[in-house]
Amino acid sequence: MNSSDMKSVVGKPLNRVDGHAKVTGAARYSAEFPVAKLVHGVTIQSTIASGKIAQIDTRAAERVPGVLLVMTHLNAPKVSGEAGGDRKLPLLQDNQVRYSGQHIGVVVADTFEHAMQAAALVNIRYDEEQPALHLKEHLDQAYVPQGKIPRDQPPDSAHGSVEQGLATAAVKVEQTYTTPIENHNPMEPHATTAVWQGDRLLLYDATQGVFGAKKKVAAVLGMPPENVRIMSYFVGGGFGCKGSTWAHVVLTAMAARQVNRPVKLVLGRMQMFGPVGFRPETMQQVSLGATREGNLTALRHAGTSITSTFDEFIEPVAKTARMIYACPHIETSHRLVRLNVGTPTYMRAPGEASGSFALESAMDELAYALKIDPIELRLRNYAEFDPDKKLPWSSKSLRECYQQGAARFGWQKRNPTPRSMRDGNTLIGWGMATATYPTNRSPASAIAQIKADGTAVVRSGSQDIGTGTYTVMTQIAADALGLPAEQIQFELGDTNLPETPVSGGSQTAASVGSAVHLAGTEARSKLLQLALMDQASPLYGATAEDVIAQNGRFLLKNKAANAETYGAILSRHGLKTIEARADAKPGEEKDKYSMHSFGAQFVEVRVNPDSGEVRVSRWVGAFGVGRLLNAKTANSQLIGGIVYGIGMALMEHTVMDPNRGRVVNADLAEYHVPVNADVPSIDVIFVDEQDPHVNPIGVKGIGEIGITGSAAAIANAVYHATGQRVRDLPLTLDKLL
Amino acid sequence: MKQVLESCLTATINGETVRIQAIAPTTTLLEYLRQSGRVGTKEGCGDGDCGACTVALMAQGADGKLHYQAVNSCLIPIGAIAGRHILTVEGIANGCLHPVQAAMVQTGGSQCGYCTPGFIMSLFAAYYDGTVNDACVEGNLCRCTGYLAIRRAASLVASSPVQDVFRDRLAQTATELGEVSYDGAQSQFYRPTQLSEVLALLQQHPNATLVAGATDLGLDFSHHRKSYPVLVSLEAVVELNFMHQTTEAVEIGAAVPLSHIEDRLRGVFPSLDEMLYWFAARQVRNRATLGGNIGTASPIGDLPPVLLALDAELKLASAVGERTLPLANFFKGYRQTDLQPGEVIVSCKIARTIAPGAVRRLSQSYKIGKRGTDDISIVAAAFCIDLDEQNQIVHARLAYGGVAATPVRAIVVEQWLLGKPWTAETIQQAKSHLKTAFTPLTDLRGSAEYRKLLIANLFEKFFVEYP
Ligand SMILES: Cc1cc2nc3c(=O)[nH]c(=O)nc-3n(C[C@H](O)[C@H](O)[C@H](O)COP(=O)(O)OP(=O)(O)OC[C@H]3O[C@@H](n4cnc5c(N)ncnc54)[C@H](O)[C@@H]3O)c2cc1C
Ligand code: FES
Ligand code: FES
Repeated sequence: MNSSDMKSVVGKPLNRVDGHAKVTGAARYSAEFPVAKLVHGVTIQSTIASGKIAQIDTRAAERVPGVLLVMTHLNAPKVSGEAGGDRKLPLLQDNQVRYSGQHIGVVVADTFEHAMQAAALVNIRYDEEQPALHLKEHLDQAYVPQGKIPRDQPPDSAHGSVEQGLATAAVKVEQTYTTPIENHNPMEPHATTAVWQGDRLLLYDATQGVFGAKKKVAAVLGMPPENVRIMSYFVGGGFGCKGSTWAHVVLTAMAARQVNRPVKLVLGRMQMFGPVGFRPETMQQVSLGATREGNLTALRHAGTSITSTFDEFIEPVAKTARMIYACPHIETSHRLVRLNVGTPTYMRAPGEASGSFALESAMDELAYALKIDPIELRLRNYAEFDPDKKLPWSSKSLRECYQQGAARFGWQKRNPTPRSMRDGNTLIGWGMATATYPTNRSPASAIAQIKADGTAVVRSGSQDIGTGTYTVMTQIAADALGLPAEQIQFELGDTNLPETPVSGGSQTAASVGSAVHLAGTEARSKLLQLALMDQASPLYGATAEDVIAQNGRFLLKNKAANAETYGAILSRHGLKTIEARADAKPGEEKDKYSMHSFGAQFVEVRVNPDSGEVRVSRWVGAFGVGRLLNAKTANSQLIGGIVYGIGMALMEHTVMDPNRGRVVNADLAEYHVPVNADVPSIDVIFVDEQDPHVNPIGVKGIGEIGITGSAAAIANAVYHATGQRVRDLPLTLDKLL
Repeated sequence: MKQVLESCLTATINGETVRIQAIAPTTTLLEYLRQSGRVGTKEGCGDGDCGACTVALMAQGADGKLHYQAVNSCLIPIGAIAGRHILTVEGIANGCLHPVQAAMVQTGGSQCGYCTPGFIMSLFAAYYDGTVNDACVEGNLCRCTGYLAIRRAASLVASSPVQDVFRDRLAQTATELGEVSYDGAQSQFYRPTQLSEVLALLQQHPNATLVAGATDLGLDFSHHRKSYPVLVSLEAVVELNFMHQTTEAVEIGAAVPLSHIEDRLRGVFPSLDEMLYWFAARQVRNRATLGGNIGTASPIGDLPPVLLALDAELKLASAVGERTLPLANFFKGYRQTDLQPGEVIVSCKIARTIAPGAVRRLSQSYKIGKRGTDDISIVAAAFCIDLDEQNQIVHARLAYGGVAATPVRAIVVEQWLLGKPWTAETIQQAKSHLKTAFTPLTDLRGSAEYRKLLIANLFEKFFVEYP
């Protein structure tokens, strides 16, 4: 039996199934659930970056009408912020201030107004200590991290000897590149509503991982995990900051238990700069050596990034350098420097986005040093297999990406000389860079249930953070079940549903999609078996291979008149439903193949020589991402990633006050994200790619590859336009005058 | 003006009459909507920066007719909606999806969906104005889509406005805003209709604060959560809501929203057109006023440089009487003005005549920010040069924002330019004077050095564009 004979729903540019709810305002986000007797929490944040709380006076706050609780380290229940893995959370357990913006108290009141009013009246005296705030001043304290970089790789790697490779090189590029702190700024602020029912806890939380939240909260509060339920039906963007469970989530639960009422706590935009992670500042040294012909003889990528004083996060900037180019001598390393900042976290393509800025800028510098076209340089060093793992690729279409992208962009018309292309007074530059992102997959489960009325419900924990999970899972389920998409209801966002991984690392489609595919296929086979063994069925006696499933019916391939609807089979057997569960997990493919998406970014910039203003005016991105589940959502994901890259290249930069570590641009007026006018026409090419190895549904992730290579492509284009090489992001106007 | 304060405000939300009671008049419309269960409208910042909270306010446009105006509900004090009609994302699907909603579904303009209600309402307002284009969503941020799918949605509906109930509703005649005197949660909100009443209220309540579009003051309500015992809204005051054009001059009432100025004066002052284009975003310009922009005395206010370069003159009024004052004498120091207690900015007058002996006028403005639109200036500049038949400079105004504690003119350089020919050589010399004319600060947006460069380079850019 198969369904490939029928028109596949997968691959169609289906409209989002949740589109209607979103355009009418009906979609409920985590702060929007009507809960009886709800009260409101706000957190108080430290205003110094290092020291101790010498005194905290809550009396005036407690006198504000409606105030139910002012929770500080003096009266907070004892919990362990380190329990349960994930992030180490400061949870009002001591008087230590570790960074500016740390939650040092929670006020709960009958209204948000009263809680805010009371929070302002809490009087705090600190014993302030000298904070460590600047990477450059503390480089001598850089250390080798204890942890691994994703997925379970050591922080350092070496193949051959870079020193030797550099010694034989005819041309060398050795440069330092820096990237600043950046904040995710999803449009929806973090929000949690905690409801206790006896010793059970229900949390509506804006999270990228309901199961991760469940485990962390249960561990910290010392509860059996089955007593914690997390719900998250719609998440207004995440990009990584909602991938971990942060302090405010647990604090809300703690406060709700104290006041014996449901508590809602929403972080203000300003409060999202510090306590919910950020892309850490990095300093990266790249050394490249090459022969005159442009063959790499050495590649070293050494990254140092910042982490907090109490937890470790490594921005894996040098991970890409391990696998992207063929080179006999490759060394990579990751070092950390502890500063008085909140703990950094994954932000859209962590490591790949920031690391590719350095590596792909350096490749451009090398191309200029060698006077070789930058695409040609990359082709000469094309990795036919993964040089680190020494494994073949499950599929790789990077060559086609370069070719098709360059053709669409008109790359051959480029005059490589800097400042050679102009439109009147305006300088024009063309730049390119390679994009890549690994294909990840984790264990995931799903249940598919076919109902007697010919519809189906498919359930899987998971979450939709805007990536289209509801939609693509509906499509996968439709094909697996042999039903039209309209007949399928896909449910997610609840830990009472089958377990799934965090929506991070672009793995949801591959992980959850595989589970949904298997569960759907299994439910359909079970149903078919009933028919094949039932004398009353027109399909009786046939084999599964003879049957196709179409629009909720089984029919014989060569005798279409012998057909039966799903509903008819179920009712004849007196069944309301038939269901199957699948627990899908990655298999041996990951030991046999190296699995990555690849792409090529082509950019045109226009630079105003009077003011240094840079505008991106044209973009072509070509990508090989395996099978496309939905061209419409895929296109948007890649464009969204590219535009995130425009922000990273030209404007995004979180600035701390140099003495106290307070973020001075903690709002959307001063922390710039791209607006519509910053976005040029963007042409996304999907290079046709079949990957039979990667997972049962042949998909590679698409959420993150779009940003990789983006910042470098822009910086390379700016160099081409102006002759100025900016190695420090963001590329703001004053760096160009 | 009613002296008895009402304890209830009435407004219409999505066609339904609502009575608002016992809440402070500074409570924002967004807070009210969300607290009353209308959670379709989103809060992304509370600062006017993201547009997630955009709703449509039915209001008189520059043409005197009713329009749907996209506004940021996070910056609107609830007092300001008394007697008005608001539409939110929940109120525009009339049985089936509104065309702008359908288009957003069709093109995938909504991903996580959190920005979507705001985009929908910006598009909705533009749809009935026939102005669905890129600019109509300039005040809406989206972190997911990269905007292109939203642009495609806009282009789908751009050319097909239909006759429907929403358009029918616009055919009603616009009624003038009525008086409001409201007291809620120990704060008072007045919306008088006569200047004399404003002046009387200011006499009665020395602690009163004037509010116009609240796009600046609104941050105090929404973000800093300051409470104001007495607010006096200028929105309905007839003497502040007029525009008067003659061949000699243009006079603009202080409470006229910037979007009206944009529409009605287009083509009159190129430098004003240009600056209004770069000024904030649609939602803000629909509410922000000229009086408010001058009243904030912000060193980075964008209109003062333009008005300084055009020698604008203010009319001020208080219970004592009226006076006029050149704008150049109005700014006294960082966020300090010559405005006396009890005094109100009534209007701003700009002459259209050029200097005696001159045969042509060159005038333009420039705003440098980091983003394509919707940005705060690093430096704003406005220039006005009058030339005689010999191409000699007979009148020069070079005004800047973002380079000192107040908006300022480069008076020394202006004087130096008089009598010089309008040539590249003169510009080069002027540039070297301009580099030392001010001592700007280094801040987040740009370094002092970069600002100095801009001060000079922008003048050269002006010359290149207007040789
Ligand atoms: C997102 C955003 C973007 C912005 N972008 C820009 C920008 O690009 N350029 C720029 O210049 N500004 C910008 N602003 C600031 C603000 O919008 C402007 O200054 C606006 O003109 C203020 O007008 P308003 O009517 O809203 O003033 P309000 O907020 O109502 O009042 C501002 C101040 O002026 C006083 N005032 C108002 N009217 C009078 C009067 N008639 N007489 C005496 N005092 C008066 C008030 O008491 C108050 O102190 C922006 C604001 C936001 C929120
Ligand atoms: S909430 Fe962001 S503009 Fe109003
Ligand atoms: S769709 Fe997520 S912010 Fe626009």
